[in-house]
Amino acid sequence: MSTTSTSPPLTTSHESAFRVRLRRMGETSGRVLSNPTTLGGLVIIVVMVGMAVLAPWLVEPNTPNASQMPRDWGAIAVPPGSPGHLLGTTNTGGDVLYGVIWGARTSLRLSLIVVTVTVAIGVAVGSLAGFRGGRLDEILMRIVDVFLSIPELIFALAIAAVLGPSFRNIILALAIVFWVKYARIMRAQVMHVKQNDYVDASRVIGDSSWNIFRKDVLPNSITPVVVQATLDMGNIVLVGATLSFIGLAEAGLAEWGVLVSEGQAGISGGRWWASTFPGLMVFLWALAFNLLGDGIRDVLDPKTETR
Amino acid sequence: MTAATDQRTVLAVRDLKKHFPIKDGALQRVVGQVRAVDGVSFDLLRGETLGLVGESGCGKTTLGRVLAGLEKPTSGGVYFDLSEQQRTELDQALRAGQGEDLAQLEAAHRVDRLDATNWRRFRRNTQMVFQDSFSSLNPRHLVSDIVGRPLRVYKEASGSALTERVVGLLEQVGLGRQHLYRYPHQFSGGQRQRISIARALALDPELVILDEPTSALDVSVQAQILNLLHELQQNRGFTFLFITHDLSVVRHMADRIAVMYLGRIAESGETTGLFDDPIHPYTEALLRANPDLTGDDEGFRGLEGTVPDPARPPQGCRFHTRCEYATPDCGWEIDDVVLQLEDTPALFDKLVGVERRSPFDADLEFVDASAAAALETALHGDEVPSSMKAAIEQVSVGAQTVSIKFREVNEVLLTPRGNDRLAACVLDALPSRD
Repeated sequence: MSTTSTSPPLTTSHESAFRVRLRRMGETSGRVLSNPTTLGGLVIIVVMVGMAVLAPWLVEPNTPNASQMPRDWGAIAVPPGSPGHLLGTTNTGGDVLYGVIWGARTSLRLSLIVVTVTVAIGVAVGSLAGFRGGRLDEILMRIVDVFLSIPELIFALAIAAVLGPSFRNIILALAIVFWVKYARIMRAQVMHVKQNDYVDASRVIGDSSWNIFRKDVLPNSITPVVVQATLDMGNIVLVGATLSFIGLAEAGLAEWGVLVSEGQAGISGGRWWASTFPGLMVFLWALAFNLLGDGIRDVLDPKTETR
Repeated sequence: MTAATDQRTVLAVRDLKKHFPIKDGALQRVVGQVRAVDGVSFDLLRGETLGLVGESGCGKTTLGRVLAGLEKPTSGGVYFDLSEQQRTELDQALRAGQGEDLAQLEAAHRVDRLDATNWRRFRRNTQMVFQDSFSSLNPRHLVSDIVGRPLRVYKEASGSALTERVVGLLEQVGLGRQHLYRYPHQFSGGQRQRISIARALALDPELVILDEPTSALDVSVQAQILNLLHELQQNRGFTFLFITHDLSVVRHMADRIAVMYLGRIAESGETTGLFDDPIHPYTEALLRANPDLTGDDEGFRGLEGTVPDPARPPQGCRFHTRCEYATPDCGWEIDDVVLQLEDTPALFDKLVGVERRSPFDADLEFVDASAAAALETALHGDEVPSSMKAAIEQVSVGAQTVSIKFREVNEVLLTPRGNDRLAACVLDALPSRD
């Protein structure tokens, strides 16, 4: 191929780096969303997150603490469709609709906090280990091994035993357990990416290690972390619901796991609604983020195998 | 080469070694060293192109990376930017051993000991173009970022001035403004290599190390890139170190050539002289292995055998195991016997162990006496080169062992052969072919 004659048509003069980057971002998002299941996942996420954000306008917040279930002692265990209680109430008079909507807020808070904290720690530790290598890598990876050997459920129970059952402790327990995965992914990626000639090219230019990391290594290693973080937005809610189901959250919290737990006794008595609706929410939340995560992976990171 | 009054030496390389440890076992103990570069010395003068030629695995890429400052040498030194006088002083100081003169020179010129200011100067002035144009450009950066990056690092320009500088650089390598805001994947291999070259030239460096810049390209594109490099050098007076396995490429590009074999320079000299009249058999073998350069098909013949293990380089001349002109003085040793044995599995399976007193003297122990006898017979057989037979000083067959003693030979060093030529060969000249 000749190098000069095959140049694509001249671009217009107002072309700029910003426009090109923006267009590339648009093209990538377009490709992600062209897959109907991914789009479906995103739609569910938008609805659920919308519910979480708009909760105070959808259902009047409970006073004084909006994240606690309101109790209507006059309408205990009423079925869905009852006046004032669209999805029925629990056997302690908690409005299921309130739990479903405010539970979305709790779940969003849980997954956002845990994912942000764990990604930050994991990326920092993994990058340091992978980029520096040597003794530091050795030490950090042994620490990671220690954390990997902690069973998350038992660890969460231990935290609850020591610090008392509360939603905050669930966040803490999950954060302590989940960062390790990101550290490992990031380390492997960084070690792979730093072997590219463009890293050596930047070293030959004389750019600083920090700039090389920031410009060359990090952007080219972060994709699997983004994919994993998306999947974990769903997984964490699943694990969080499990933990609150077994009683690690405060009783009466507007949280899906707590509600499922509260309603389970009634299922055998035909009062299916108190567990089913919040259970369905957990399911949809996890499903939606998994669909989106897989879709992102297919486009950005086609080499990684799908689970 | 031009005979200037003060010919500066961009790089003076002195007995440079780069060994990589071989680690083994659960504890990662070091069990050996791969001698990728094992005692290389040469000068690279300002404005010249030195072609570094050799088979894959000969250490030429490692040498290039050490010279570019990407790897620290195991021992020996790379000295940057010396005047003629400084170079003489350096060689005197190196001969005299440690001294104040040497320490002073090293602080200002030795690449792995430079202070911050001198390091920056070296870094700016030594750039590199890599073989793989896919891997050498960050896929997430636009061409404007890639080519502009060196200028940004040294704060040479910013904003629209930077863009104009980048456009200027792109035009020098045959690209243009329309390519500024594209990603590397939107270009062909040749175009990407042009981008790499533009990046390397951005800081107007003294030295550009070209590590097989055209090996991954189509032949037609190769020629374009070579012409571009040639033209750039004519116009801007760069010094090039051109690393390649392709002799026809260096013939086109280089003023001088250094032929590398197994971590060492086998022969070096001015290009035309070296091509017309090679002294080292390896150089000749490389030339004969290149179909374009011989003209007649009769002369075309590949090199026989494989490159020996760089963790255990041969004694004497490193090429003796594959050399068709080998003499008894070329460094025949016990390893050569073991190598012969490996080709005869029936015998090799019966080998129990090798007890070495020196690389030239050892007992080979077999499971039974017949195997030992068979080896002795084999040593007189046709499979063994006659020069190797002649190098054997003593063979004695015991019950199950064969003691073999070869003539002890020193390392074959590079010696001047007149007319700016150096060669590491025991022969004075190649035997005539007919």
